[in-house]
Amino acid sequence: MKELEKTKRISIAATLFILAVIIGLLTYKRPKNTYANNTKDTLEKITGENYFITLNELNNPDYVLIDVRNQYEFEKGHLENAINIYAAEILSDDNSKVFNELKDNGKTAVLYGNNPQEVNPPFLILYQLGYTNMKLLAVENSYVQNKLITIKSDIEKPEADVAAFINESMKIANTKPIVKTTAPPKKVITVQKKKKAAAEGGC
Amino acid sequence: MVKKKIAKVLAFRYKILATILVLLAGGLVLLPKYQRHEGIKPEELLSNTISPERYITTDQLAHKIINQDPSFILIDVRDEKSFASYTLPNAINIPLPKLFEEDSDSYLNQNQYDVVLFSNDNFNADQAWILCNRLGYKNMRVLKGGINQWFTTIINPLKPAENMPAADFELYATRKAAGMFFGVVYPDQVKVEAPEKTKEAPKKVITIEKKKKAAAEGGC
Amino acid sequence: MGPLIPNGVIPIEWDNIIAILIGIVFGFVLEASGFSSSRKLAGVFYGYDFAVLKVFFTAALVAVIGVYYMDYLGYLDINQLYVHPLYLWGAIIGGVIMGVGFVAGGFCPGTSLCAVAIGKIDAIVYVGGIMVGIFIFSELYPLFQPIYEGYFYGNVTLEDSLGINPYWFVFIFSIIAIVAFVISDMVRKKTKKIFY
Repeated sequence: MKELEKTKRISIAATLFILAVIIGLLTYKRPKNTYANNTKDTLEKITGENYFITLNELNNPDYVLIDVRNQYEFEKGHLENAINIYAAEILSDDNSKVFNELKDNGKTAVLYGNNPQEVNPPFLILYQLGYTNMKLLAVENSYVQNKLITIKSDIEKPEADVAAFINESMKIANTKPIVKTTAPPKKVITVQKKKKAAAEGGC
Repeated sequence: MVKKKIAKVLAFRYKILATILVLLAGGLVLLPKYQRHEGIKPEELLSNTISPERYITTDQLAHKIINQDPSFILIDVRDEKSFASYTLPNAINIPLPKLFEEDSDSYLNQNQYDVVLFSNDNFNADQAWILCNRLGYKNMRVLKGGINQWFTTIINPLKPAENMPAADFELYATRKAAGMFFGVVYPDQVKVEAPEKTKEAPKKVITIEKKKKAAAEGGC
Repeated sequence: MGPLIPNGVIPIEWDNIIAILIGIVFGFVLEASGFSSSRKLAGVFYGYDFAVLKVFFTAALVAVIGVYYMDYLGYLDINQLYVHPLYLWGAIIGGVIMGVGFVAGGFCPGTSLCAVAIGKIDAIVYVGGIMVGIFIFSELYPLFQPIYEGYFYGNVTLEDSLGINPYWFVFIFSIIAIVAFVISDMVRKKTKKIFY
């Protein structure tokens, strides 16, 4: 009798253990969209490679234009042969299919929007999801009398030399030049190193 | 009868448990390996990046700097050369390629300060923001329009035309005053005031405490 | 998602409360499995009772398999788990001293407290001994310090230092465990039965 009672306990524990394993495996759902590139690789790519395309380079049969603006703006005016995939919907099933197809066919998707800044998030997210066949069209779109005007856009180009401007303003005002403006005060930053917890414990 | 049968099966209970454990361990070896999922879900990342919440305007930032708001740090993601030629007061230079280096981590991955990223426009700053957001870093902001916007609004604001509403003139006056704080000198201003003010630029001492990861300590 | 506390799912302020809850459960399980008996604990050494070996080996096995499965399925990030730092010679010498004390006294520090709770006199003496030991160690700390803090290898795991695939390691480890169980059973059958 005693032996049986002992058995019961072990059986209960074993059943619970197996149940936990089974439930854990059954409730697990593989997420639909998973990253294919980690952040470090992505960073390397966006800082190392040239992924911009200018308007002149568009005449390539491998390029497929994708407009990431919303439907309204797309219908108002868009570049020739462009497909409309709104930035917020790039992860939906239908659009994933489009991107997969492009990737399988060896085409390059060229994204564009009102300005390069707007295309940046969808471009980066798609790249991290493994669509490496992405390029970014460096253009700015605007409307003049309801007609789409597309002009070349320079990304991250300094528009003016701010330091020079400030110095210039001082010369004009005839004040004594201040050195300080060109050399902002340095911050003293102390970073506390992570302290490992002391060894402790034992049976 | 049933009891006897159960007892018969249970006679092998240890063997059964042992087989289950070995099978599970073997399963680990046989499972297909895939890239480790790093950071937040792509869907979440997309909705975060689409929303303009991360932007801070140049006017807001100028206001914060002038009032010596201690709650934020500025991070310049341009290269060293641009950083050396001009940057915002008290900015720290983390060029984009060095975003994930050990030293940068203590500035980016903390919850003591708001981090304001900026570059020439907001393109590179956005990229840095997206990558950091994927890793779940908190309190990140992006300066809308970057240094270029900073130049056209604060340093060299456009004088409103005569027929513009009064609010525009007010904004212009504020921006001009802010510009003077950052070193611009206007010929029509009292000469003494401008240089004196710039000297007061706050010398912040920022100590970043590394988030302490709780270490679970063992023992039996 | 996990580990829960480093990721802020459970606030760090709950540490002590969780520690108390786990401590209560742990103490209960130790006592319930008879680990507050010094004869049972010393049984591993003399070969008449391998319950201790089986329990701890099984616990380690279940835990390691569970952790790797949770890591694989994305419930847990194995890199965020705490890895105990390795002080090589400190660990070896301490292990030997502890092993001798274990067999001689019949308790390990945890189970001795468990046995104190149910009123065993030998356990009370044992805990008194622990206190004396702690006192001597603290007094002579400068003498022991080089060993205590020396030979530091960082928070390494077998996977780091030997460079083996963790999944294979788990598999081999589980086979070793089960072989150990079988052998220990055989040894137990051969030794004279002792009633305690």
